[in-house]
Amino acid sequence: MRKSINLSIYFTAFGLMLLAFNADASPLDSPGAFKALVCSACHGFGGDSPGSTVPILAGMSPAYFKKAIKDYAEGKRPSPEMEPYAKYVVEAGLDEIAAYFAEQKKQSTRIKSNPAAIRRGMAAAGQCTVCHNPQGEGEPEKGFPDLRGQPAGYLQAQMLLLKEEKRKLQDTTLADLKQKVLKRLSDRVIADLAAYYSSLK
Amino acid sequence: MKNITRREFLKASGIGIAILGTGGEASFAAATKGRRVVVIGGGWGGATAAKYIRLADPSIEVTLLEPSKEFISCPFSNLVLSGVESLKRLTMGYNGLRKHGVKIRHEAATAIEPDKRRVKVGNDYLEYDRLVVSPGIDFQWDQVEGLDKAKDTVLHAWKAGAQTVKLAQQLQSMKDGGVFVMTVPPVAYRCPPGPYERACQVAWYLKTKKPRSKLIVLDANKDIVSKTGLFKTVFKDYPNLEYRPSNKAEKIDVGSREITTEPGDKVKYDVINLIPPQRAAAIAVEADLVGGDKRWCEVDHVTYESVKQKNIHVIGDSTIGLPVPKSGNIANAMGKICAVAVVHLLSDKEAPVIAPGNTCYSWVNDKEAIAVVNSYKIENRKVVQIEQKLTPGKSVAVAQNSLAWRASIWSDILG
Repeated sequence: MRKSINLSIYFTAFGLMLLAFNADASPLDSPGAFKALVCSACHGFGGDSPGSTVPILAGMSPAYFKKAIKDYAEGKRPSPEMEPYAKYVVEAGLDEIAAYFAEQKKQSTRIKSNPAAIRRGMAAAGQCTVCHNPQGEGEPEKGFPDLRGQPAGYLQAQMLLLKEEKRKLQDTTLADLKQKVLKRLSDRVIADLAAYYSSLK
Repeated sequence: MKNITRREFLKASGIGIAILGTGGEASFAAATKGRRVVVIGGGWGGATAAKYIRLADPSIEVTLLEPSKEFISCPFSNLVLSGVESLKRLTMGYNGLRKHGVKIRHEAATAIEPDKRRVKVGNDYLEYDRLVVSPGIDFQWDQVEGLDKAKDTVLHAWKAGAQTVKLAQQLQSMKDGGVFVMTVPPVAYRCPPGPYERACQVAWYLKTKKPRSKLIVLDANKDIVSKTGLFKTVFKDYPNLEYRPSNKAEKIDVGSREITTEPGDKVKYDVINLIPPQRAAAIAVEADLVGGDKRWCEVDHVTYESVKQKNIHVIGDSTIGLPVPKSGNIANAMGKICAVAVVHLLSDKEAPVIAPGNTCYSWVNDKEAIAVVNSYKIENRKVVQIEQKLTPGKSVAVAQNSLAWRASIWSDILG
């Protein structure tokens, strides 16, 4: 059997593919990419974390990334894992690494939460919208993180740290407000809220 | 218009790529000449390096030599002994690397010929422009009297796989009231906290399933080698665990089920887990990549090029001289950094200066873990530690983090 193929069309198609390929830079082709190589062990390639307790960095606001790194490096956010690495990021080039993750396409966690927990979380989320906005998009430039699509395990762990005052917000008014909100919530509701925000795109 | 067969089309399109890709002058073969990399070993270091070379520059031909068709994670394999984890969940394939265009040959490299820049594989030779050697460790059987002859039954289970499953069976079939003895080799060895995590897993299993039994840990070192304070605290959870430092395994007698240690103590066992002293795998020793100690390979801290042989890079547990542990996380970091260096050097560019990092979890029972984390920088082309941080104690949260870590790093190596 002979397949009829138009030679000239294929040559053109291959030429175009090749041009597209050449124009497409390697995924490692940015000043921050090399410096962020160590991050992918925990945060996934390009910051697309597959795990439940590790935040997704892909598409993160550079302002919020830098604030978080500084807080980890100074021990204001407690994390035995992140404190040494945050110091590495500051040492290696905070701006470049923040820019690298910001350039990556924003991803949402692939870990699916229980639909019932998501529904309960949605019903309980009203009080969060004051700071994190109606859809959880927050205002990262002002320090209010975008919660959408972050893994539930990470969101839950952070809420528990804040509730138990192991992590404190620097703005005392906000810290008081956050405390008041979280203290009223049971660990179960906190888990539901985490499920809800992780389900948002 | 012309009708052609599929085969003719493939030929024609190949020429098309060559013409378009090289400005119409050179052939396709010439485009790849000088850009061939061979990687020996598909573990945490080698598999990562092979993948990342292709990610950084898909025009480089990368061949990975790995005899095993499956990747079995050493991290978490201690949990197979206690039944907390199954070996199946630690076993993965290499198809992800094939999708990146890595050519995989499931064969062992038998020799390296640095002068001819080629690697022997069976009766065949593979030529390289740069070689990445990530061979892992071999055991020094002759360091313990009687071990060489007994090595089929006296298990190390220090390379995850069949031995891991066998040792788990030996532990399960031990009578309640029995004595399980394990030995810790002198530094340097693969995975510094590994023996102590294993001790916790075995002790937890015995405490839960065979409460009249006992674990004796004979450590060749003066003290617990890694996460010392944390393990000392955790060991208090296990009254069935007897830890004896400065007790180097000297002789094993399988007939009388007895092990003799350097101070001359004789210890009877029902099940023995003897982790022998270690060195870089044989191929690295035979290719003269090792230093004066004939055990480990010294490398440049930026490019991972061997200090002994040009165009050969060594990564992972077989290296020495960097202030880093022999851990899977470090091997993965070295794989990525070495890959970027190789890609630059093949294009006659200077390799960027990138420091590794280390995250290391140890499970101390069926649901809690501890961790140590190290970050590094490079000063005057040498790796220097920025900080080491330990978890305050054992916790479920740290164990959960370790599961996120493994999902991410396995995908970083193989995905």
